[in-house]
Amino acid sequence: MREVAPARTPARTFGELLERHEREIFAYALRLTGTRADAEDLYQETFLAAFRAWPPPRRDNERAWLYRIATNRAIDGARRRRGTVSVDDLRLAAPERDGVTVLDLANAIRLLPAGQRAAFVLRTVEGRPYREIALTLECTEEAARVRVSDAMKKVRAAMR
Amino acid sequence: MTTDVIAEARERLFVRAKREGLATVGYDVLDSPIGPLWVAMGPKGVATISFGREPSGHELRRLIRLFGPGIVPDRRRTAPAARELDQYFAGRRRTFDVPFDLRGITPFQERVLRTTSRIRYGELMTYAAVAHRAGNDRASRATGAAVGSNPIPIVVPCHRVVASDGTLGGYGGGLDVKRYLLAIERTEVPAGGWPKRGSPREDLRS
Repeated sequence: MREVAPARTPARTFGELLERHEREIFAYALRLTGTRADAEDLYQETFLAAFRAWPPPRRDNERAWLYRIATNRAIDGARRRRGTVSVDDLRLAAPERDGVTVLDLANAIRLLPAGQRAAFVLRTVEGRPYREIALTLECTEEAARVRVSDAMKKVRAAMR
Repeated sequence: MTTDVIAEARERLFVRAKREGLATVGYDVLDSPIGPLWVAMGPKGVATISFGREPSGHELRRLIRLFGPGIVPDRRRTAPAARELDQYFAGRRRTFDVPFDLRGITPFQERVLRTTSRIRYGELMTYAAVAHRAGNDRASRATGAAVGSNPIPIVVPCHRVVASDGTLGGYGGGLDVKRYLLAIERTEVPAGGWPKRGSPREDLRS
């Protein structure tokens, strides 16, 4: 059911939602958790939560909705995760932007609490606009900027 | 991101989704000699076969109405149907063992398609004869429409239903596909037309 409907029309089935977004959600999960096993757990939890909460809310787009679920689940699940990072696994979802290395990302995962980590990944690794980051983190744009900036300071300090 | 990593994650997701009753229908796109076929397997059997890589909006709405939104890509689930279709196209299968699920259509459509499902491999039946057996002699045109609405072509062999004048009638997948399927079954519409019930030709044969 690939590209059944233009991206702006809401997905009609779980399959459509999955086919449209699972790759980016898996990559995001990997960038947040640092290992393939944890990423897979987060990917599963995100989509199961989306399926249970069906249909996607009308007021915003389904992609933002999925990112928000994934982020909240990552924050909730942070204590359960093993806290290790696999650079090999991370290479599967290498940063999409120049100037960020897999090692930067590995450091960010090791050092940052889940909320800040999400801000770092969304801005530095995925290059999302602050408006979208604020939507995902359910905060103001200003708060999103602060979180990203704090996160970057910590990661840079660790590199010195 | 490699496709394998996603595929493995997806398979485990479906195990959990199925356990929770969230995934109700599994679909896959099969390659076949007549082009891609979108095949969907519901809880009671094959629910849809669509010509092409995706179902029509109408067909998808029927599935959603019947089974909810838990319609997910799931090759493992469609594998039995895929295997039987492969065998059919290779000329190695004459009947389908995989169950099918005709719910979500009108009772008349269902009667017509049940009749259609009993037409044997390599045999033909006219729209009029199907109408007769479905219990409505005069509804030949409506029968044509019902046959045309078949959500599970090939498995419910609507390609074996032809017009009384010896022409092929219609086919959702196109007449070339109908001809191809009949050729697999080595069936030809008799030259000069299909004998009408009660026509002299039928008298001669009986």
